[in-house]
Amino acid sequence: MKILRLLFVGCYLSVAMLPLIWLLLTSFKLREESITVHAKYLPSLAAEVGPDDPYFRANLDGYRQLAAVYQGSNHSFFHYLGNSLLIGGFSTFCSVLIGTCAAYGFSRFRVPGSKDWLFFILSTRFLPPLAVVVPVLMMYREFDLQNSYLGLILLYTAFNLSLAVWLMKGFIDEIPTAYEEAALVDGYTRLQAFVQIILPRAASGMAVTAVFCLISAWNEYGFAMTLNNQQAVTVPVYFAGLQGNVQGLPWPQISAGVLLFVAPIIVFTILVRKHLLRGVTFGTIKH
Amino acid sequence: MNQIPGRRRDWIQWGFVGPALLLLIAMNVFPLIYSIVLSFTNADLVGGEWKFVGGLNYKFIFKFAKYGQALRTTALFVLLAVSAELVLGFGLALALLERFRGKTLVLTALMVPMMLPQAVIALFWKLVLNGNYGIFNQLLAGLGFRQPQWITDPDLKLLSVLLVDVWMWTPFMMLISLAALNAIPGYIYEAAAIDRASRWRIFRRITLPMCTPLLGLAVLLRATDALKQFDLVMAITGPNDPATQTLSALLYQAVFRDGKVGLGTAYSYVILVLVIALASIFLRYMDSLQAQQEEVAR
Repeated sequence: MKILRLLFVGCYLSVAMLPLIWLLLTSFKLREESITVHAKYLPSLAAEVGPDDPYFRANLDGYRQLAAVYQGSNHSFFHYLGNSLLIGGFSTFCSVLIGTCAAYGFSRFRVPGSKDWLFFILSTRFLPPLAVVVPVLMMYREFDLQNSYLGLILLYTAFNLSLAVWLMKGFIDEIPTAYEEAALVDGYTRLQAFVQIILPRAASGMAVTAVFCLISAWNEYGFAMTLNNQQAVTVPVYFAGLQGNVQGLPWPQISAGVLLFVAPIIVFTILVRKHLLRGVTFGTIKH
Repeated sequence: MNQIPGRRRDWIQWGFVGPALLLLIAMNVFPLIYSIVLSFTNADLVGGEWKFVGGLNYKFIFKFAKYGQALRTTALFVLLAVSAELVLGFGLALALLERFRGKTLVLTALMVPMMLPQAVIALFWKLVLNGNYGIFNQLLAGLGFRQPQWITDPDLKLLSVLLVDVWMWTPFMMLISLAALNAIPGYIYEAAAIDRASRWRIFRRITLPMCTPLLGLAVLLRATDALKQFDLVMAITGPNDPATQTLSALLYQAVFRDGKVGLGTAYSYVILVLVIALASIFLRYMDSLQAQQEEVAR
């Protein structure tokens, strides 16, 4: 029985990992060796390899050429990576900050209609992005935000807010009120108590929340594509834009870029693996 | 109760929760109201004058076959994707109850796909699934199977999108299934062992019913997500492929390729009603789940 179970897990794992391993291998290939009828799956340092060999000439060309401007786009990959970092970073900071404040408010005060407000916050997550993208676009046109960094930052902040509030409420509910009460008796103002007593104790929860917000802003594609076509283009939009190229796709470069782009996500996944369940279910399930 | 009553400072709570609520109202509620207005107009993406056309857009949606087709494609997609993910994910979770060395590593590796950017990874999947030089077909050939044209054959396109979706989201089902399985108290199994119940009976009478609440939650979360599927379809086949045109892809096509904002917003309302219907089931479900748990706790 045990063997069968492990065999099942092993089979699934190897099939599931195949595309990721192939991604890694492709990023070290030469362009002509990335699309061969006989798959080349073994790296080799030899100068010459036969067309039917399983060997490919391992090299870093894919990574080097990322700095070059590819036909059909205005900048190199790194420019778009910078855009993604800027937009993802800022929106994450804002979501966590605003979300933590709101979570504290809902956790510690009797907000009139708090159940309804929390339900409203949760419900925004179910909204299909495409249902609001058109009116948002029209709205952004009025305020001249449609090609700007600010436009996407605002949108991602709002988009991640429901997750941030729900996750942070779970974390803050677990902090005993005794600490703040003591601080308030000592003459702290409410804001001082929040900043000096609560924030340090909620820091690990904020870090976890930040990781989830960053990942969803980092991965977002629908809004980024429809609201921007010149300035604040993020990496997913850049990659998707390469598709229509007549010369065929430079797979080693794409693989190298994809790998650099998803590497931080893989690191973060490892870091927050214990909190994954909470993150994907909005903190509605606690272990 | 964790709450501290602050009588004279009633404004301070709004100071804490206000910014979040204002932002959500500005970015979600206002656009929704705005789009109701737009859905009754003939507004165009390029701008210019627009006028009210009454219910014409809605009439058009229910008359035009393309929209019904997209609805069927999406329903089929949601049904197949969610059930495949549920079976595979729950199966994996059951298998992972076994203790073995390196389990944490395996679990973490299994979870990676669901954290990746769909639009970017789907582009790479096109290389993996390519009919002529894709690694997937070469493996099939090695095992002696036929090598279909996954991306270009109209009968297989939807299956390709499904395959990538299942690859991405099976870990999600596995994660929640694991949580559900681990929450079953050990003494129930011990009692069953004393009664000499068969493995199958234990599974049917204990494991499955005790997992159902959380599995239901997972199914509903995934279903609302799959209903919005856009990124994979865009990357793998493009928005205007009749074989894979989901609701979201059709909406994108209507607004951003054809420029018909009025029609697109009307369409987004039809989608919204579907999502709200699913979400309300979800929330009612969560309430009953909570009530159940409180009863057990008592």
